[in-house]
Amino acid sequence: MTLSASPPASPGPPAFGPIAPLATARVLTRLAWARTGSPALIAGIAALMLVPMLFALVFASRGILSGDPVAFLANRYDQLIGGLATPLIALLLGTSAFSAETDDGTLLYLVTTTTPRWWIVAVRVLFASALTGVLSALAVWGTGVIAAGTSDPEGITTAYTVAVFYGGVTYAALFTALALLTRRALVSGLVYVLFWEGTLSTTFPALHFLSVRAWMQAVAHSLTEAAGDAVGAAVGPSAPYALVASVVLVLVTVYIGGRRLHRPRIARVGT
Amino acid sequence: MSAAAVGPLPGQAPSVGAPPVGAPPLVFDHVSHWYGDVVAVNDVSATVEPGITGLLGPNGAGKSTLLQMAAGLIAPSSGGVRVFGESPVERPAIFRRVALVPEREALPGMLSARAFVEARATLLGLRDVRGAAARALALVELDLVADRKVQGFSKGMRQRTKLAAALVHEPQLVLLDEPFNGLDPRQRLQMMRLLEARAAAGTAVLLSSHILEEIEGVASRILVVLAGRLAASGDHRTLRRLMTDRPHTVRLRASDNRALAARLVAHPVVIGVEVDAHDLTVRTTDFTAFSRLVLRAAQGHGAHAPALTLYEVQPTDESLEHVFAYLVER
Repeated sequence: MTLSASPPASPGPPAFGPIAPLATARVLTRLAWARTGSPALIAGIAALMLVPMLFALVFASRGILSGDPVAFLANRYDQLIGGLATPLIALLLGTSAFSAETDDGTLLYLVTTTTPRWWIVAVRVLFASALTGVLSALAVWGTGVIAAGTSDPEGITTAYTVAVFYGGVTYAALFTALALLTRRALVSGLVYVLFWEGTLSTTFPALHFLSVRAWMQAVAHSLTEAAGDAVGAAVGPSAPYALVASVVLVLVTVYIGGRRLHRPRIARVGT
Repeated sequence: MSAAAVGPLPGQAPSVGAPPVGAPPLVFDHVSHWYGDVVAVNDVSATVEPGITGLLGPNGAGKSTLLQMAAGLIAPSSGGVRVFGESPVERPAIFRRVALVPEREALPGMLSARAFVEARATLLGLRDVRGAAARALALVELDLVADRKVQGFSKGMRQRTKLAAALVHEPQLVLLDEPFNGLDPRQRLQMMRLLEARAAAGTAVLLSSHILEEIEGVASRILVVLAGRLAASGDHRTLRRLMTDRPHTVRLRASDNRALAARLVAHPVVIGVEVDAHDLTVRTTDFTAFSRLVLRAAQGHGAHAPALTLYEVQPTDESLEHVFAYLVER
């Protein structure tokens, strides 16, 4: 195999057309999946989804001795899915592609094109959001079906299916922004989930206004009283606040991320 | 969010603007760039015309920073960069005419070479994505293995995949960072011919290297950078002469070091001789003349003296850093 000194006949310089949103989205998603779809990552996501289902299996196996399914589901949905699975899946999916591309320099192949930078970020947010939202919603739905069949008592499963989908989109946008803005996106994301949301936010209720988990709880609570009863949410953001905050977060991610890609943080191009 | 600030909406063709007619492909105008306290590029002015220009310098000289500034990925801290008459900073539309080939080999390993090149063609907005990718892959003779995953490729094949991805839209300015790394001599030669063919078609090629021999055969003009500064520029003959016509220090070991020293010291090209227990260190103004002189001196010509045996002749300051340091001090 050698390079050709005499290139094949070319019909002339290639013609440019407009940037095709769907075609570029397909390419950007494919490139993201090429960096994301490792067996270890898929196994990790599967484990996060299966944990609440295992709890539900134990709950279902004990029959009537298990107690109130609504309280059980609200608690598991909030703690195991909303508090753990959704943010961690979003963290893995939101950071993996941009972080890997930044570290090995392949981000250059995206930013040396004519595709608008904000569109590159928007597609990546969409990719991580859709996957996180759907996977989180599946975990909620699966847990609900195992624990209480298809009865959906007090609409708790429906409410949390919507809430974790919302949470998945919001977390994915936040962690995609982290991947573009920081060198240690994974660590920063973990600190946010475990320290900010897990510790600080529970100690200082005012921080609920800056907690995606609290926003997610607000959405769930707006759909069923059972959600609020279970988690004891007394002070915190309202559902409209949560929706507006999420939209702002997504737009800010796309804007700031797009700006960032004009001057990408590339580990090292050469020597 | 301002669309103007982040680029046009998908579905709209990015504006290329109206570059000044006849503007050179790339101009560095007193350009500097520093990272915190570290000066990476220091007041470099140069113009890159169609044809092949070499960017020569040791590791850490600022070559990659210059190439990234040329692609608009880094904004100059001072001075200006013009690509076809326009600033490339925050202007993705320039990538219709510009391509950057990074030094690093990393590619999305799960993709085939064809899928990768087609991905680039799509992101560049080419109308005939498949046709353009097929032509680029054929150009670098990867067409027969184009459907194999990149992760199984050798270094040379990866370099060619990168080149195909860069040339898929036939850019008019190609920036290559150490393009000969990982290529065997034959592939290197073929790569040179390929770049020469592009240059003959009117493309401006700026390629970096830390090895003069790599680029002197292909680059019609060479820019030498050291510690971020432009140390010299010219064609390879000019640079060769600059590098040869400089004081050299040579260490010799002969069967009689003192006798050899006595024969050499009288010659005008020798400006210093130092003899110690084991060898002889000579400073000369003309390395080529000294090479001939040392042979004659050892053979005893002219002095009708007995021949001496030379055990070692070793230039001690031939490293590129020495050469560049000399050029900077001139």
